[in-house]
Amino acid sequence: MTADLPIPVVQFCQVVTTAVAAPGVSGVISRVEARLQGRAGPRILQPYYDLAKLFRKEALAPEGSSWVFLAAPLAAMACYLTVPLLIPVLTTFGLPLGYMGDILGGGFILSLASFLVALAALDTGSPYAQLGASRAKTFAAITEPVVLFVVFTVALVTGTDLPYALAATVRSSAGQIIRPAHLLAAAALFLVILYETGRIPVETHTGTNEFGMIEEARPFEHSGPYFALLRWGSAMKQLILYTILINVFVAPWGLASTPGLLPVLLAIAALVGKAALLGVVVAVIDNSFAKLRLFKITEFTAAAFLLAVLGVFTLYLGGG
Amino acid sequence: MHVILLLLLTLPLAAAIACLRVPANAARLVSALTGVVSFALVLALVPAAAHGTVSYLRFLRVDALSVVFLLATGFLYGAVAVYSVGYLKAGQQPHARYSRRFWIGLNIFAWAMLAAPMMSNLGLLWVAIEVTTVVSALLVAIEDTDGAAEAAWKYVLLASAGLALALLATVFIYYAGAHVLGQSYDLGFSQLLAAGPRLPHAAVELAFVLAVLGFGTKTGLVPVHTWLPDAHSEAPTPVSALLSGSLLAVSFYAILRYYQVAVAALGSRYPRNVLLVFGVASLLLAMVYLFGQRDIKRLLAYSSVEHMGILAIGVSFGAPGALAGVLLHVLGHAAAKGNAFMGAGVLVRKLGSKRITAIRGGLDVLPWSGPLFILAIFALGAMPPFGLFRSEFEIVAGGLDSRSYAVAAILVVGVTAAFLGLAGSVTRVVMLPLAGSAPARGEPSGWMVVPVVVGVLALLLLGLHPPAELTTLFGRAVTLLDGRTS
Amino acid sequence: MSLAGPVLATTVAAPSALAGGVNVIAVGVLLAEFGMFRQAMLRDQVRLYAAQSALLSALAVVVAATRHLPELYALAGLSFALKVVVVPIVLHRMLRGIGVIGGDPRWPAGSYSGSARSGSTDIAGSHALGVASAVLVAIAVAAFGFFTVAALGLASPVLPATALSVSVAVILVAFVLMIVRRDVVSQAIGFLSLENGVSLTALVVAAGLPLILEIAFLFDLLVAAVVFGLLIRVHHGRAESMSTADLTSLRG
Repeated sequence: MTADLPIPVVQFCQVVTTAVAAPGVSGVISRVEARLQGRAGPRILQPYYDLAKLFRKEALAPEGSSWVFLAAPLAAMACYLTVPLLIPVLTTFGLPLGYMGDILGGGFILSLASFLVALAALDTGSPYAQLGASRAKTFAAITEPVVLFVVFTVALVTGTDLPYALAATVRSSAGQIIRPAHLLAAAALFLVILYETGRIPVETHTGTNEFGMIEEARPFEHSGPYFALLRWGSAMKQLILYTILINVFVAPWGLASTPGLLPVLLAIAALVGKAALLGVVVAVIDNSFAKLRLFKITEFTAAAFLLAVLGVFTLYLGGG
Repeated sequence: MHVILLLLLTLPLAAAIACLRVPANAARLVSALTGVVSFALVLALVPAAAHGTVSYLRFLRVDALSVVFLLATGFLYGAVAVYSVGYLKAGQQPHARYSRRFWIGLNIFAWAMLAAPMMSNLGLLWVAIEVTTVVSALLVAIEDTDGAAEAAWKYVLLASAGLALALLATVFIYYAGAHVLGQSYDLGFSQLLAAGPRLPHAAVELAFVLAVLGFGTKTGLVPVHTWLPDAHSEAPTPVSALLSGSLLAVSFYAILRYYQVAVAALGSRYPRNVLLVFGVASLLLAMVYLFGQRDIKRLLAYSSVEHMGILAIGVSFGAPGALAGVLLHVLGHAAAKGNAFMGAGVLVRKLGSKRITAIRGGLDVLPWSGPLFILAIFALGAMPPFGLFRSEFEIVAGGLDSRSYAVAAILVVGVTAAFLGLAGSVTRVVMLPLAGSAPARGEPSGWMVVPVVVGVLALLLLGLHPPAELTTLFGRAVTLLDGRTS
Repeated sequence: MSLAGPVLATTVAAPSALAGGVNVIAVGVLLAEFGMFRQAMLRDQVRLYAAQSALLSALAVVVAATRHLPELYALAGLSFALKVVVVPIVLHRMLRGIGVIGGDPRWPAGSYSGSARSGSTDIAGSHALGVASAVLVAIAVAAFGFFTVAALGLASPVLPATALSVSVAVILVAFVLMIVRRDVVSQAIGFLSLENGVSLTALVVAAGLPLILEIAFLFDLLVAAVVFGLLIRVHHGRAESMSTADLTSLRG
């Protein structure tokens, strides 16, 4: 056993892990997706090469766009780098900065990031970017209440809305896992994640069909390092959301319970493994369902809403 | 006695099976005979039931209350079976398949309605009534017109949904009973009554309301009556007569059984109030719809809603006189409504339309059925000397007895207005002279007259001098319903 | 450094594993009901019904095993055979008989005006309400059922009371389904699933119901399903569509 790492280092590791592993998880998903479709598919490391290439390229801004257009990718990236401080990425115990915000706080920061990106998209004047931004905000009007209801469920179960507390509760007994409220909240969150990360059945991740685009359409006008930051940011957002689902709701095991080097390394490995596994599940879903027509997406978000509301109901009945 | 129960339970079914095989002529004969014999069998049950309960094989149980409803069903079964012989002959349906289906359906329908009041157990009672729904829905659809398809769909959907609520009532009453009687009792009705005062109140209240709502759907209580005018107007006339005179009554019988349990468990206040609300609503709404109705069979259907409202109000009065009136009303309504539908059926057959504005000159072309139809309408409107006059008089008197003056007043006004609505339309149909080319004067078939004459005689008998046996039977049934002595 | 301890006193304690599992199955039945409520394709609606029935049978097995009511095994088996196998097959047969299953799923009515009336298979356009309002109405109705039944305080001897509330919610949502959907198949499925809701109630509050009665109920359901199928065929034969929007000739 090696000596304990200083707590700030562990905290820093959370951010770095998220930032570094995020493109890899995206790579795994595209690879698996390609294999399921019978293609060879890109290398798992392909997203890193893409980012590196984009960083070397020249940045262009559309005529007439303001400073918002260039500031948004940086600010969004800053948001994505903040959230891993708040959630249990690697440890079962709360890290000092983990008390800065609860689940809601994390949610706010993620929404802020997505708002900034939308703002930048509006700033471009490009019809596709604007379309994506307005669509994203329209559907968010339903997904955000879902997230709220999920938080309510967490609050009713644990008495607090700190992500660490829920993870600890879930670990405490099997009864906490098969209770309907927990399953419903986790399912609702999963649906929201599918929506937020722009997956089937909401949109095609790798398509060129501009009419169906939501998430993908927003960075249409960005280029070079700014585009790289946006791509990286959305990969990080994906991993952050996966982490919340995995480490708070579904499988909060394999986390480091002491700040030792070995447990932390193991936790990093476990996180990457679990996220990759979830990525495989998402890829399978990607391949098994058809994309919904745009007007049907309300149905999808309504289903998530239903799950979340039922979760709260069952809790109020005392049987959740 | 037990033989009679078994025969009642097997004869109509056997007739239905026979109709599957035998030629059309024989099917007619078999069915008509079975109908008449069934009524005779029920009559033979009266003396025994007037003095006690007949139980057999654990699942059959007949007391005075059951026999009242068996009488209504048995009478109409006999009358309608005979009438149908003429109805099918006079019709334009040459299809052998049509008449075969008709006879099979009619016999199974009657079988289920005869079986329902004989069940000792609320679960089987529900099953029997659900069977009546599915069979009668097919009978409504048998005409193969757009209207019949629409009516049958609405009927089967609404009635089944209502009966699902009734099943829920059955489940909750089982829950209430299991609390007292343990997990192993089988919804037996006598057991439940005996356990009455110890049943948990919340469950019984819930079950009673669900039962009134659920079985009330089939009884045609407002606001769950909406299928009724459609089905009654689109079904073949003999089926309409059975639906109206007998099916509604049998469903009301189920409500009365739940009423008995509810009275035993909760006292009489709560169940009576529930019935009062449904009864008054039915009476008033039906009254409104009776004016300005354009279809003669829909007219009669709304009259059925009105009469079911009267039954519910009568039970809600709770006075023994009113209860006896309700039971008499069941019989009187079966005979009068059967007659009215059968008479209307003759008119429709002869003049080829159901529209009140299109039918004219009933008296001119129908020497027997015209006057008989008027008599039936007068009977329905509770004119003396017919049975319904006596029964409604008893109900109102019972209402005054139990100091429900306001409701009694509503009842009197509602019944009078309903009569005006009914008579206004019908006199036009029968009395106004025929315009244009008239069909030749004469009855379509003698088979369609005889049952109506018998019905009028029965109504006169009930109105002028009910037989002593019947009075004893009513007395016995009233003590059962009253809840004080049982 | 432990965070599991300092939680507020208002938390909702987790139910036992059994109660939790039972509640999960009950909620699954409710979700299947919502699925049928929104489902756009005939075949999938029938499948959802089968899935819902399968969940019910599973619940019956759970009750039988944990409460030592051996006759419930028989009920579970029979109910599985009838509701998961026979009734869906009967419905499929009848629908295939009139040629509304087996083709490609049509576009929902209203979106592509050309096919709005011609698609006889299409039940997707049969909603009388929009997505959001329909789901909100259904949720409101389900909530009403949830909390009123909970307020009645009916305790079940064998299962958690939450399952009772859920079952009443299933029944109410089934009613909303029958009201909101304007096609014959959805309405028939609505009735059948309504009966499933009643079965769930029966399982919760009346697990000891005699087997013979349960069997009678089940066969009654089978007969009802056949009659519904027949009338669907009659309706389709006359109207050339599944829609009930034209069933308006009888009124007054």
